[in-house]
Amino acid sequence: MNSDAAKEILSAYRSADRDGADPIFHEALNQMASDSELKKWFEEQQDLDRTIREKLASIEPPADLQAKILARIRGEKVRRFALPQVWLAAAACLVVGGIALFYSNRHGGPDRFQEFKSDAMAMVSVQGGPALDLKTPDLSETQTYLRDHQAPRDDAIPTRLQSMETAGCRAFVWKDYPASLTCFRLPDGQMLHLVVIDRKAMGNADIPVGVKSVGDWHVMFQQKGEMLMMWATQAPMEQLKQMVVKAGWEGARGGRGVAGQGETSPRRLL
Amino acid sequence: MPTELDLESIVSELYSPVYRFAFSLSRNETHAADLTQETFLILTKQQAQVRDITKIKSWLFTTLRREFLRGLRSQSTHPEVELKPEHQDELVADSGVLKASDAATVMEALAGVDESYRMVLELFYLADLSYKEIAATLDIPIGTVMSRLSRGKEQLRTLLAKTDSPNKIIPRPN
Repeated sequence: MNSDAAKEILSAYRSADRDGADPIFHEALNQMASDSELKKWFEEQQDLDRTIREKLASIEPPADLQAKILARIRGEKVRRFALPQVWLAAAACLVVGGIALFYSNRHGGPDRFQEFKSDAMAMVSVQGGPALDLKTPDLSETQTYLRDHQAPRDDAIPTRLQSMETAGCRAFVWKDYPASLTCFRLPDGQMLHLVVIDRKAMGNADIPVGVKSVGDWHVMFQQKGEMLMMWATQAPMEQLKQMVVKAGWEGARGGRGVAGQGETSPRRLL
Repeated sequence: MPTELDLESIVSELYSPVYRFAFSLSRNETHAADLTQETFLILTKQQAQVRDITKIKSWLFTTLRREFLRGLRSQSTHPEVELKPEHQDELVADSGVLKASDAATVMEALAGVDESYRMVLELFYLADLSYKEIAATLDIPIGTVMSRLSRGKEQLRTLLAKTDSPNKIIPRPN
């Protein structure tokens, strides 16, 4: 092997720990023992490679990039998890359709609640985030928007969330009941979604208490006066509890702070 | 091989080099971040197709490059979305991503290397791929990778020696 051939091979050599065991480099490396010019060239080459890698390593990705990637991956997992459930639910609906029709009435039942939960989860877990009518970091602007569109909303947002940015909000209608969605940006880049709807939309269904896991999501339902609140996030369960439960929710019980009740100006279906 | 990849560990380990490679291609911070996200999302959707877990790194860089080229083709189909090289330079100059002027110097020098060598060099330096992984990523023979690395490094060395940066990496020959 001449010196030029050895240089070409050694140009692909990174370091002893990564490429030292690769036999393709052995002959060229051994040749350095008898070729001082090749040895000097190789040492300079390695210095240059090391320097260039160090310089390029100073290119930092955006601080929130990792969190954004993980959020999208989790969203995709939820979507893949939810899809079979939707088909299963559809099949089940077909099988028991006649019975359900017989027993159904305008007040609904447990299925009504499950349907709402499923629809709301599908809305918030959509890839890239849910569709929003208004995109703004300002909570007061989302509240004003929802009020102007006669959508139910929580005027007594938990204290810790009041200082956080929002992604925006949406007013929509579910089964003839006006509803709203407000999306908060948590400090770690995760989103926290709040869906508000009239409790009557659930008929006589029991509303489960506590935080539940749905795939990678944590979901919590709470009643506030005549309103039903659904909180959903991919952030840790404890974080959801701290944000919502331990941050002044109790003080808002009993119907205070909820607005938009009784207003009926449906804008669009979910 | 596990049926489900440990995607979070893969992201944690590789999102930085993937981003750097995306940045070297797009020369734009926002575009690079979008490309990086898209690449990992494709991995999530197509993880069943990744038969050899040891080749995930090559798979990611291959996918990223393909997505970048697809985006370029899309831009050429829609000429109103222009991104000419001179605009790319401005983006790089304005970007906060190149905080270290040395990195900017290297990126500029890399951009000056012949295109046929540049991609191999970027995968070698930014992605830290082996010559075998580069061959797999670009679908070219190993011998071609080695000769391109050798010639590309010579060009890069010459360009770095010519730079007027105060943080010069290679001194200009006397």
